[in-house]
Amino acid sequence: MIRRTLHPLTVAAFGELAVVAMLALMCGAGVSGQTRPRAPAHAVANSEGTALPVKSLGNKNAPITMEVFSDYQCPSCGNFYENTLKYMIQDSVAGGQVYFVHRDFPLPMHPYSYMAARWSNAAAKIGKFEVVDGALFDNQAVWSADGNIERFVAAAVGPADFKRLKKLMEGCDVNPHLGVKPAAFNNSSQADHGCLLDTYIEQDKQLAKQIPVTQTPTSVITYKGQRYPAMPGFVTWPILKQFFDSLMKQ
Amino acid sequence: MTTKGRASFQRVFLLTGRLALGAMFLFAAYAKLKPQAAMPWSVGSVRTSLSMFAMQVDSYQLLSPGAVSRAAHLLPFIELAVGLWLLTGLWLRFSTSVTTLLLGAFFALMVRTYSLGLEINCGCFGPGEQLGKKSLLRDGSLLAFSLGVTICAFLVRKKRGESATSVSVASEPQRAN
Repeated sequence: MIRRTLHPLTVAAFGELAVVAMLALMCGAGVSGQTRPRAPAHAVANSEGTALPVKSLGNKNAPITMEVFSDYQCPSCGNFYENTLKYMIQDSVAGGQVYFVHRDFPLPMHPYSYMAARWSNAAAKIGKFEVVDGALFDNQAVWSADGNIERFVAAAVGPADFKRLKKLMEGCDVNPHLGVKPAAFNNSSQADHGCLLDTYIEQDKQLAKQIPVTQTPTSVITYKGQRYPAMPGFVTWPILKQFFDSLMKQ
Repeated sequence: MTTKGRASFQRVFLLTGRLALGAMFLFAAYAKLKPQAAMPWSVGSVRTSLSMFAMQVDSYQLLSPGAVSRAAHLLPFIELAVGLWLLTGLWLRFSTSVTTLLLGAFFALMVRTYSLGLEINCGCFGPGEQLGKKSLLRDGSLLAFSLGVTICAFLVRKKRGESATSVSVASEPQRAN
C-alpha cells in the first residue's frame, strides 16, 4: 500500500503562497491608478445660431454622469437605447441620480449614421434632442434601409420646429459617409464650411479618441468626479441599475 | 532524453506550471475585486467592482440578468480558490484538471462571442481589455499550457505510483517454501 505524508508539501505550499500573494499585490498596486480626469461638461444653449447643442438629459449635478458614445445606425446602439437607456432615462435620470450625455461616434461602415448625427445635433441646438434621439432609434430599421431620416425627425418635432431644423441643416446635404468628406474635416476657416453641425460631431469623436473609444455603444460612467473604465457593448438595464445602486451605496 | 531526465523535467514543469497558473488565477481574481477609479478598499468598493464585472459578463449576452449577477459575484472567488489550491500543490491532478476545464470554458465563451462579432471587453483581468485576436491568442495559449500541466500531473503521479509499487514488491520478505 502506498502512503503519503502531506506535511513537507503543505509547509512548502504555504511558503509559495505567501510569495505569490505578495507579488500579486505589488503588481496590483501598479495598475490601480486607472482614473482619468473627467471630461469638461458642455455649455448650455444660449441662442439658436451660436448655441452649443445640448445632447444631455437630467440634472447636471447628479452624482453619476453616464456618457454614451453612440452611432444612430448601429443595431447594438438601437438595442441599447430601447432596452436599457429608455428605462434609465425614466428611472435614474428622472430620479436625479444620473446625468445622461449622448456623444456622437458615427462609424464609417454605416452610410446614414453621420446624417442622423447631424439631425440630432440640430435638434439639440433647439432643445429637441430627447424627441429626435428617441425617434431616430425607434425607427432605426426603417431609415437605415432608405436613408430618409427627415420624415421621422419632422414627425417628432412638428412643422414649426422642423422649419428651424431645416435652417440649421443648411449646407449639410453632402453625406460624408457616402464618399465625400465634409468641410469640417478640413483645416480651413469656419466660414468655408459646408455643414457647421459637423464641428460638434467631430468634437465628440475627438473626445472618443482621448478615452479611447473604438466601438459603439460605449458607456463611460463618472461618479463624484472619478471616471470608471469605458464599457463597450450592450448591458441590460437591471445590471446597469445594480451598478448605479452600488455606486450610490458607497 | 533519459527516463530520469524526463522525469525531472516533468517535475520541474509541473512545479513552475502550477505556480504560474496559480499566480495568474490569483491576479485575475484580484483584478476583478480591486476597487476601481482610485476608491479605497472597502466592502462597498469591492461590491462596486463586482457590479462592474457583472456589466462585462452581461455584455457577453449569454445569461439572464439574475444569472449574470450570480456568476459575476461568484467567479472572482472561484478564481481565488483555484489559485490558492494550485499554489498549495494538494491533489494536483484534480486542481490542474479543474483549471483546464475553467480555462476551456472561458476560451469557448470568448470564441463564441468573437465569432458573433460582439465588440466587448474581455473582462478576463478586470475592466478595460477588449476581446480580440490578442486576448484569444493569450487565452488559447494559457489553455494549451494548462492542458500540458494537467497531463504532466497525471504522468508524475503515475510514475510515483509505479516506483512505490516496485519498492514495496522488492522489500516484501521472501517466503520459505
